[in-house]
Amino acid sequence: MTLTPVPSPDSGEGDSSGVGERVQNKQKGKNKMKKIILTLITAIAAFGFSQKGETITVKGSDTIVILAQRWAELYMSKHPDVTVQVTGGGSGVGISALINGTTDICNASRPMKKSEKEKLKARFNTLGVEIKAAKDGLAIYVRENNPVSELSIAQLKDIYTGKTTNWKQVGGPDTKIIVYGRENSSGTYVYFKDNVLDGEDFAPSVQTLPGTAAVVNAVSKDKNGIGYGGAAYAKGIKLLKVKKDANSTAYEPTEENVKSGNYPISRYLYMYTRSRPTGAMKEYIDWILSKEGQEIVTKVGYFPVR
Amino acid sequence: MKRLIFIISLLIAVYLNAKSQDSSTVATKDEVAEVKGAVDGINETVLEMKSTLDALKKIKISGYIQAQYQVAESASVGSYAGGNFPQNVKSRFQVRRGRFKINYDNDLTQYVLQLDVTQSGVGIKDAYASIKEPWYRAASLTAGVFDRPFGFEISYSSSSREAPERSRLFQTLFPGERELGAKIELAPENGPLSYFNLKAGVFNGVLNNSNENDRHKDFIGRAGFQLPFDEEGLAIDGGFSVYTGAVTANSKKIYEIDNSSSIKRYKVDSTSTNLGNGFDRNYYGFDLQLYYDVPVIGGATLRGEYLWGKQPGTDKSSSFYNPDAAGTTDTKSLIDGKKVTDVYMRNFNGWYINFIQNIGLKNQFIAKYDVYTPNKDVTASDIGAAGSNLNAGDIKYSTLGLGWIYHWDSNVKFVLYYDWVKNEKINSLATGTLASFKNDLKDNVLTLRMQYKF
Repeated sequence: MTLTPVPSPDSGEGDSSGVGERVQNKQKGKNKMKKIILTLITAIAAFGFSQKGETITVKGSDTIVILAQRWAELYMSKHPDVTVQVTGGGSGVGISALINGTTDICNASRPMKKSEKEKLKARFNTLGVEIKAAKDGLAIYVRENNPVSELSIAQLKDIYTGKTTNWKQVGGPDTKIIVYGRENSSGTYVYFKDNVLDGEDFAPSVQTLPGTAAVVNAVSKDKNGIGYGGAAYAKGIKLLKVKKDANSTAYEPTEENVKSGNYPISRYLYMYTRSRPTGAMKEYIDWILSKEGQEIVTKVGYFPVR
Repeated sequence: MKRLIFIISLLIAVYLNAKSQDSSTVATKDEVAEVKGAVDGINETVLEMKSTLDALKKIKISGYIQAQYQVAESASVGSYAGGNFPQNVKSRFQVRRGRFKINYDNDLTQYVLQLDVTQSGVGIKDAYASIKEPWYRAASLTAGVFDRPFGFEISYSSSSREAPERSRLFQTLFPGERELGAKIELAPENGPLSYFNLKAGVFNGVLNNSNENDRHKDFIGRAGFQLPFDEEGLAIDGGFSVYTGAVTANSKKIYEIDNSSSIKRYKVDSTSTNLGNGFDRNYYGFDLQLYYDVPVIGGATLRGEYLWGKQPGTDKSSSFYNPDAAGTTDTKSLIDGKKVTDVYMRNFNGWYINFIQNIGLKNQFIAKYDVYTPNKDVTASDIGAAGSNLNAGDIKYSTLGLGWIYHWDSNVKFVLYYDWVKNEKINSLATGTLASFKNDLKDNVLTLRMQYKF
């Protein structure tokens, strides 16, 4: 775009002209100014509306990261003008990023805490928008040849708080239990602590690992190991049945049991945005909640919400 | 024969090879054992490091620095936008706040120490210990120096607050925001009670960095609610606060407005038993915050507080009566050779309303209006009138503030803010130090601030 300089009405250029010429010059100047303004508006509008290549950033829960990547891959293949960048790090990391304004969507395997919502309110004056994107049965992993097949919530609590240290105490062989868990930035860690340990601290002997995949990997190689995490990660390991208490029936984390509530440690997997989503972000979230998006939930190993 | 030699040679070769394989297997086993030992060693080191790291993770360090440049409308003005401008000073650079906070968070117990480091020196802002009950995790006890649990603006962090300073009302009634004392707090995380919270405590009632100077303890409390309407993108928070305490007079002269007089003036009660008696310091307040997620533009909030009550002050200031505080110079007379400060009782009220609109991720627009009436029993024309003994501590102020915040990134923000300060124009007959208040003082202030927070 070329901008033509507009002579100033106060400049000496028109000094030798007559009054009529000066009026004509002023008129020409005004017309040129109008053209410039129109051109600028057109350019700005064109720039604004022709902005292709919208990028949506997604950060948070490691439990959801595989699912989020599948969603992103399929969505981008169908919407080449949209880029969805997915990273993990844990629910706490994702929520911090949402509060700091460094991600558009936060994935979390636990609900946002009141204190986190207060921080969002303080910075953005919004409450955050919670979207229940999938459901998960929090699976208890052991190695495939482990003879133990079920545990109660109380037994799990005792194992993770260090009161039970030998498999023999829960019906297994006389060997030490090697306990694997997650880091405290993980939503799964928080969920497990709140719902299984009743808020008590994990035993110092619990070996914390940086992701659910790492927990699965460790348990699959450790005949004395036990771990917890999303059901979708359960490859090459055995999932224990879990019962509410000693007198209850133990259930596997299947879709049916999770949906019916029989499996006692099931949870929603969430997506959070700062404000009510609009534009490309809204379209993406609507698609995730659509039949197509929810089919991916099932394929990955979680349970659809719709 | 050749065949025999060949077979013997082959057997020897096989034997030697097997022997070599045996020794190789032994060597491999040794190597595996060595690697296993090394891995075990690393595991032990990692476990040790983990326990150290877990302990270190409990230490949370945060802080912020607010560096600013200010221009006042005229030199040497009194200001609530970061303190008075010194003699002949019209513009200045300042580190308004330089906070450094260490928090040892052991889940149910906390240690907090916050320092303020500025050009004026180093001061303690927070120093408290806090414990939470382990059963419901809803109730906690805090003791030390911390924010007074009154209203909204006091406990709203200066690093998050959009306007550079708190309202004149709060700066006058609660200087320094903090106080020495102990409080309990009820704030359930879940269930129907999670919509409500309660904070209440007992405090010295002096200042955060002063020793108790009387036998009175002050009660401060706030009962609040938080109502989220997620579907509508709306939240309504609010509360009712009470401050009830007393100050001890070190003078027998207690001044109060004489409402029976035709000219509004203070009458003095000089009963000798006033000396050493307690005089009421009572505040009440409502606060309300509305949050609304404006589609496309961003979140908006409208906050307001209204306070009223009785304030024991001095003749020139409506700040609370504190004869031991540094800078109190209203010494009228001597009792037993000691300087004394007379008590001026005032019925006050004040309010503010603050609107903030987020515009996208980076920008915020701020508008704020606050009014402080230190003595609601008198009007502007009463002050300075013939026969009146009212003074500067009775003058009403209002401040309109407009500003813009630009968030450079998650750590840095820039603030541009302008305060239009209006004092009420008092009686035209006013003389002496009051004479300057016959017109609006030229005390507007422009603030340019850069904040780094981590």
